[in-house]
Amino acid sequence: MSKVAGKTYPQVETRLEADHVRAFAEAIGADPQAGVPPTYAAVYALFSTAVQLYGDEDAAVDFQHLLHSEQEFSWTRHPEVGETVLARGRVEEDVERRNLRFLTYATSVDSGGEPLCSSRMVNVIRG
Amino acid sequence: MKEPQPHTWEVTREQIRAYAEASGDRNPIHLDDDAARAAGLPGVIAHGMLGMAQLSNFVVGWTGDHRRLRRLRCRFSAMIVPGDRITFSGRIAGERDGLVELELEAQNQKGERVLTKGLAEVTAS
Repeated sequence: MSKVAGKTYPQVETRLEADHVRAFAEAIGADPQAGVPPTYAAVYALFSTAVQLYGDEDAAVDFQHLLHSEQEFSWTRHPEVGETVLARGRVEEDVERRNLRFLTYATSVDSGGEPLCSSRMVNVIRG
Repeated sequence: MKEPQPHTWEVTREQIRAYAEASGDRNPIHLDDDAARAAGLPGVIAHGMLGMAQLSNFVVGWTGDHRRLRRLRCRFSAMIVPGDRITFSGRIAGERDGLVELELEAQNQKGERVLTKGLAEVTAS
């Protein structure tokens, strides 16, 4: 049963605010002077678009039984503090195997019309 | 490039709470033991993405500059909980198209692999 395979969501804009990036770097133990930590992509690529999927009634994601199983980010380049990026999420796969639902969500992030980053998240939801 | 030296990360509730605030992922399974138990967990667990952030720190510590990181991947294979000591290790798997491939994993103090299928690609220079 595939509920939402192939579905795309509206683009989400995120400005990488200096204070927020610094707080994130401090929380993970990265150097706050070094710019935007790579996994700040969790904020500008992943969570910004995942909330669209999780809030989608058609997708009917059972968040209580959801596990983040795999994550991949790739970067053409890393964003800088103060930059504004645009992220678009797409359901790459939505399949059931052995009473588990595998939901793969891909997000592409652009800045100034050029690709910047892509994210691929695999969620496993117990049935 | 020389292979990276293993690095150990000590997991605390304070850091999990700080990550929830900084990332915006305030799912109660990371913040509240009762809520975590209601979800079938032993107590609060770390965000998978906090573990991946430490994996990133490990790779950036090796390259010296996060801008050399082109790809980072892992599977979240087991829970990471407060009090854990997580050791990250990496092995150079090869080099192609100017990118060095580093295979990565993370184990807890019991020898359980918590992050598997780890991979980083970094520019060779």
